[in-house]
Amino acid sequence: MTGPAGRRTSAWVLLLHTITFKQARGWVPVVLAVAAGRGLGDGPTTVVALVVGITVLSLVWAALSWWRFSYADGETSVVVTRGLLSRTVRTVPIDRVRGVEVEAPALHRLFGLVRVRIDAAAGSVAAKDEELVVDGVPRAEGDRLRARLLTRRVPAGPLPDGTEAVPEPEEELARFDPRWLRYAPLVGGYLAVPLAAVGALFRVADEVPDRWKPDLGQPDLPGTSVVALFLLAAVVVLVVGSVVGCAVVNWGFRLVRRGGSLLAVRGLVTRRHTELELDRIRGWTVTAGLGMRLAGAARASALVTGLGDAARRGQLLPLGPRDTAWSLAARLVDDPGPVRAHPPAARRRAVVRACAPGVLVLVAGAVLTPLAGWWVLLVVGGALTVLGVPLGLARYAALGHVAGERSFAVRAGWLVQEHTVLQRRAVVGWQVQQSLVQRRSGLATVRACVGAGRGGYPVVDMAAAEAAGFARAASGAWADTLVDG
Amino acid sequence: MSPQPPAPAREPAWSLSRSAIGLWVAQGVLGTVLYGLAVLAYVLFVPGDSGWFLGALRWALPVFVVVYGVLFIGVAPRLRYRVHRWEVTADAVYTLTGWLDRTWTLVPVSRIQTVDVTRGVVQQLFGLASVAVLTASSQGTVRIPHLEAEVARRVAEDLARRAELVRDEAT
Repeated sequence: MTGPAGRRTSAWVLLLHTITFKQARGWVPVVLAVAAGRGLGDGPTTVVALVVGITVLSLVWAALSWWRFSYADGETSVVVTRGLLSRTVRTVPIDRVRGVEVEAPALHRLFGLVRVRIDAAAGSVAAKDEELVVDGVPRAEGDRLRARLLTRRVPAGPLPDGTEAVPEPEEELARFDPRWLRYAPLVGGYLAVPLAAVGALFRVADEVPDRWKPDLGQPDLPGTSVVALFLLAAVVVLVVGSVVGCAVVNWGFRLVRRGGSLLAVRGLVTRRHTELELDRIRGWTVTAGLGMRLAGAARASALVTGLGDAARRGQLLPLGPRDTAWSLAARLVDDPGPVRAHPPAARRRAVVRACAPGVLVLVAGAVLTPLAGWWVLLVVGGALTVLGVPLGLARYAALGHVAGERSFAVRAGWLVQEHTVLQRRAVVGWQVQQSLVQRRSGLATVRACVGAGRGGYPVVDMAAAEAAGFARAASGAWADTLVDG
Repeated sequence: MSPQPPAPAREPAWSLSRSAIGLWVAQGVLGTVLYGLAVLAYVLFVPGDSGWFLGALRWALPVFVVVYGVLFIGVAPRLRYRVHRWEVTADAVYTLTGWLDRTWTLVPVSRIQTVDVTRGVVQQLFGLASVAVLTASSQGTVRIPHLEAEVARRVAEDLARRAELVRDEAT
């Protein structure tokens, strides 16, 4: 079989990579080290020479790698060839391609280019190695590649009788409503955005020479108002920052079902297209943190077999009202209904576990107060122990599981509550765990092993007597092995 | 004391090779000797009059080594052997492992992806081998430790052949 003709990426990508110093970035420390070693002067000439040198180096490097890179999509496989001196040829059978992501970072958009990431997960290989990246092809070529790799049964290009393939009908499942941005300050991940930005700002401020810094002098305000003002400013920065961060990532989010796959588009600066095959979806998780639950918000993601970077790619709804998240998820895999609570022994265990750290501090305090006068420990320990009770009760209240006709559900978590629904066919194994304490109180942790998402979803502290029955109901007759041979 | 509540799952039918006890004892002896040497070095090289904490350690560490030795040579191997069980049924591989905490693992033959047989250095001395049955889930791995090498080989062959026949989606 002769291989299909190799295709190159667009030459514009040279410019892109030169501007961003993509390949030359690694050389900067070397150049700096050499410069330091040679003891170059620090006049403007040296700076210019350095900049020109690095740019030229970058251009040459980009040109070489562009020249040596080619990709080809044949009848049955994709072949990517690259490498400057040693050539690497990677062949991925098309039926192993599990996801294709087309992303358009800001600079790429200026040139009408996109970056295509082909996810060819192969079990336990490290995530980085599973991905083929074709960086810098025109938008239309990116779309063609995506369609080609994911819709196997549709031949590339015009159909044999000369007509173009009819585009499959699209159905919009979800669209991001800008009003949902108000939930952003309640999500830990988005709150981290302004924090990181402030941290970076401080680092930059440290670098600025002293003579350029404005002389702020000492404010005349009394201490408390300064603190109050500072806190107010911090809250404003956090709220605004998280909303902006959320908007940048999720702007224009749309989830569309096209034929046999789900297509998600999002991003303000970098546009990202992610495609998932419906066939590979095994379940979903609706996640809601403490703050999100108070505001009635949630997010939903799909659990897809063999999907690399599943947390990001599997997203069905990045952030939105709880009802929207639920109805969207339930369209993919049936919701087996409300979860059943766990036995009272599980409540006792949850409370004991939540109080244990407090009791430990309390005991340490009881020992050290007479010895060293550390009564603070006693107070802190007492407070922690008392707080442990509601925490344990809340954790217990979050626990739940239920097996339905075609799927089953597991719920757990207080700070971040996850409600996971999986299809019966998703289960590739069961693991029943029982610690000494659990054995005494008739509890067991039953873990459904699945080849998607995190790999295992535990039902923590269910009644030991019901473990085998649940496993049977949630997977199949083979799980009867747990009770009779 | 109230009677023990029933276990969440039945015991698999077969036990490991009896040589497994010998192997665990050997591991326990090895660990005890290593800790013993470290403690001996401590007792010899740290002077006894260097503060109450270091002084107390001179007594506590040897006690720890003795307890460790008794536990991991005298108690744990036999208890482990009693707990560890395995079984291959018509449509699943089933194991029970642990000694204080217990873990039952069940994987249907139709979802098996690969079967590995491993023979460690110490295992070779005892003529033993371990079987690992892998699935698409990183957490759904069945490990049967310390079978007789010949048994392990036959089990692995049989499982691989049957998995080939009945494999549905395996994911």
